[in-house]
Amino acid sequence: MEAEPNSLAESVCLHFLREAQNADGGWGFHPGSESRAEGTCWALLALIELAQTDDSETIRSGFRFLRAAQLRDGSWPSTPGEQTGCWVTSLASWVLLADPDSPKAVAAGLDWICKDWPRDGTLWRRLLVRFSSDRHLSPINMAYRGWGWTPGTASWVEPTAFALLTLQKCPQELLPRMARHRRDLGEAMLRDRMCPVGGWNCGNPRVYGVAGEALVMPTVWALLALRQQPEKRENSLSLAWLEGNIPHISGAASLVLAQICLASYGRKWPVGAPDLHDFISRSEPPQNVQVMAWASLASSTTRDWLRPKSKVGGILIDA
Amino acid sequence: MRERSLIPSFQRPPSKVVIRRAADYHHDLASLVLESLSEFQLPVKGKTVLLKANLVGLDPHRIMNTHPAVIAAARDSFLRLGASEVFIGDGPAMDRDTEAIVESIRLREYIGRLAHAFVDLNIDDVERVYFQTHASRLKELYLPKTVLGVDFLVSMPKLKTHHWAGVTLSLKNMFGIVPGGCYGWPKNVLHWAGIDRAILDINAAARPDFAIVDGIMGMEGNGPIQGEPKACGVLVFGSDPVAVDATCCRIMGLIPERVKYLAGAGTLLGHVQAEKIQQLGESMASVRTPFAVLKAFAHVAG
Repeated sequence: MEAEPNSLAESVCLHFLREAQNADGGWGFHPGSESRAEGTCWALLALIELAQTDDSETIRSGFRFLRAAQLRDGSWPSTPGEQTGCWVTSLASWVLLADPDSPKAVAAGLDWICKDWPRDGTLWRRLLVRFSSDRHLSPINMAYRGWGWTPGTASWVEPTAFALLTLQKCPQELLPRMARHRRDLGEAMLRDRMCPVGGWNCGNPRVYGVAGEALVMPTVWALLALRQQPEKRENSLSLAWLEGNIPHISGAASLVLAQICLASYGRKWPVGAPDLHDFISRSEPPQNVQVMAWASLASSTTRDWLRPKSKVGGILIDA
Repeated sequence: MRERSLIPSFQRPPSKVVIRRAADYHHDLASLVLESLSEFQLPVKGKTVLLKANLVGLDPHRIMNTHPAVIAAARDSFLRLGASEVFIGDGPAMDRDTEAIVESIRLREYIGRLAHAFVDLNIDDVERVYFQTHASRLKELYLPKTVLGVDFLVSMPKLKTHHWAGVTLSLKNMFGIVPGGCYGWPKNVLHWAGIDRAILDINAAARPDFAIVDGIMGMEGNGPIQGEPKACGVLVFGSDPVAVDATCCRIMGLIPERVKYLAGAGTLLGHVQAEKIQQLGESMASVRTPFAVLKAFAHVAG
């Protein structure tokens, strides 16, 4: 079903994204900047979600850019030339699920995601921490392992949420065997890392005995990744934190993501809360591709981009 | 591309550091900064300048980030000294919404339109830089083209203690040039490479030409985010960031030679020893304000 974009999304955001595409098919973080996998993924998610008939070549060339950017091990690097994959692999695999020409690329990406273990939760490190005098400084359960921003580092909230969203989006029959186990661990890790009063920051709920303060963006991604169990305590506490903090939001990126999150939980946008249109028109420094893509996605009423896909007769459809 | 040759400290002439007193942010900072910069004969006429501020998080009370009044005063001063363009930039480490941080400190009220003045270094175009120093495990990093392309780079930290590095001043501030768009939020690859050593590699690769430390209101204890505000009433200036940081440590009542990364920086990047630092402006005794540190850094306190 084709989602109906509202006037802000169509007249400003989607137009911005179409104009910002580079000749190589990708998007940078800003119009005119070098194509990067991450900017390309967000722009494509928005265009796919709200596609008009004449967007098909824009989207196809974006898919071609992503396929060409994939590394041999199935991962995607953050920037061209880099030979190590990173969190962007989740986003690229997610986006390419919509491309009928990319099943091999997606399979390789999913395989990499499931084999990419963070370094902080190894048995050896857990043992070291258990006997360390600093173990009480950041009391997190290191047995719950999510995903890092880059390989060989620690688990963090946003890359874990991106990986979970990708694994949730993917039809069961396409998932590697390890996927279920990784999902369980990743979800447990997110719940363990919630800040004491709700919400998430990058992944430090408590440092040196002081409660960490939650931030909007990690909170949104964690809530979206955990939305299949809305009744859980962490979800309700964090939704309440998010709703309570909406009046204080001062950036367009946080505002559009908060809108997406509340809508996906069936919550209404609070009366008197900041208005996205004001933010987008005021936004300085100049609007970037991610913000415009998220603003477009916020206008989607169907939210197909978050819904799991099913495989029917060899074709992937939104469930 | 900016010149990046390394000179052993024993071959360097003494470094000049200027300490100025400013009781609060309502002070005439523009005159004070211009007057202080004039001590240095800075080669900025017709050049591009980047003020690398320290913007670590949402800060409506303006206690953890470089204060916008200091940034504005520095920008104004470099323009008055003939700089062709003065950019402000940072790549916050913990929060991806840089706009929210910039708005939270109301930078626009001090600078005017930010569209062409502010650069989010997290999502700037990047270029691969190979490290010559190999102090850490890192062999290379992608760094923002804006940082590598400007003629004159100024590190503008806040005077703070740091729960992992001891202190965060002009050298540690350079972590903010490492782009989140390549390494994430936080830039965890730097922690795994060893914070102290990564500071040395980054500063050797993209050396700041000048440092201006906002010590009017600092932070002690569990910095850089969750510490306590500490009024110190100083601005510190210098073209040797190591000497500036060492001087700041002494102001904070800390022994710079015991801060691991500063001791390392003292071999190749600048001067740590007091006798190699020509101090101008206020005397050390008149501005010394002991800062509390976490137990893990008790050995750094003098």
